[in-house]
Amino acid sequence: MSDDVLSPAQRAQLALDGEFDAANQLAFERDLARSPELAAEYARLLRLRTALREHTPREAAPERLRARLEQMVEIMPRRRRTPWAMAAGVAAAVVLAAGAGIALRTTSSADPALAALVAGYQRAALSGQPIDVASSDRHTVKPWLASRAPLGAEAPDLADAGYPLVGGRIDIVDRRPVPTLVYRRREHLISVSELPLSEAGDGFATLDGYHIVRWRDRERGYVAISDIDATELTAFTAVFRRVSAG
Amino acid sequence: MTGEIAKRRFREVVLPHIDDAYGLAKWMSGAGADAEDIVQEAALRALAALETAVPLRPRAWWLSVVRNAALTWMKRNRPNALAFVGDSTDLDSFEIADRSPDPESALIARDEGARVREAIAALPSPLRETLILREFEELDYREIAAATEAPIGTVMSRLSRARAMLQRLLGTRE
Repeated sequence: MSDDVLSPAQRAQLALDGEFDAANQLAFERDLARSPELAAEYARLLRLRTALREHTPREAAPERLRARLEQMVEIMPRRRRTPWAMAAGVAAAVVLAAGAGIALRTTSSADPALAALVAGYQRAALSGQPIDVASSDRHTVKPWLASRAPLGAEAPDLADAGYPLVGGRIDIVDRRPVPTLVYRRREHLISVSELPLSEAGDGFATLDGYHIVRWRDRERGYVAISDIDATELTAFTAVFRRVSAG
Repeated sequence: MTGEIAKRRFREVVLPHIDDAYGLAKWMSGAGADAEDIVQEAALRALAALETAVPLRPRAWWLSVVRNAALTWMKRNRPNALAFVGDSTDLDSFEIADRSPDPESALIARDEGARVREAIAALPSPLRETLILREFEELDYREIAAATEAPIGTVMSRLSRARAMLQRLLGTRE
């Protein structure tokens, strides 16, 4: 849009609506200082905008409308639902837990440690109590875990990356305590467990609909488990590894 | 049966912008109860469309669905209020009564909010929806053009006419 074909009123409107590119906006501001006509037009438009926005406060939608829209997409497969919502139906939870137990037994021969950790994730999610120590402060979570499990659990702060720390818990693998950190991504939980290097694994796996990413550093093995997308979980582990390495 | 992907997109695209949708529907229909029906209808359309559509600008897309649902709803339920929708090419011939307040009534304290709302309601529909999408929903020209299926030049001239009319109605143009 070239300047010379536009009237002052049109230029004032484009500037008001933020439709100029940087160069044209600069030119406009330069002319604003020199042309009383342009300045008056721009001031009038600004006054109108102020009047419109001041006197028409944004109105929230009625709660029942929101509820109806949420209902349209509420009936989701179990693993997509939030742990908090699951805690609601006790009877349903018992049935589901029993089902999960059967499924686990059939897969547990593959990797008992993995199955145990997924069971921990499921149980924690079903109980609505995903953590033993609730804190977003890594300096609280780390010593709590370290005092109960043989490994010195690192608890990297990933809040800036969009994964606030929720807390920690102790999972049991082969009758030994394993420290597990719990992070949140939107309404989903991501658990990260630490294993001794001798039990570490690598790569991606899916068990009972949960995604699992395993990796290791020089001292420990890690297992991340969540019901978020595989892609999202991989993104999380990349952040986790970068921050804990740094 | 709605697919998982559509539901997830719905959660990302629609649910965060219910207030905006309700505001737009209320401006377009003039009543809260109508707005609720419109948004619900729009949500059903959006959910069906999201099976296959991946909107590049999710919020603008969702608001355009609401806008279209509002037009259909109005045509069905309030046909008289839509005199100016559809063929809007001869808007220039449209004139409104000069309602700028006389000096005496200006002395009477009035509810500014009501005055502003009345003025917006007095605009012909195409001008009103363009103004609302810009001023209250804060879409840019390109998004408004897509939502109202009008060329950008038309969006600009509608905005300009809407603003000029409001300035006269509100007496902010001396």
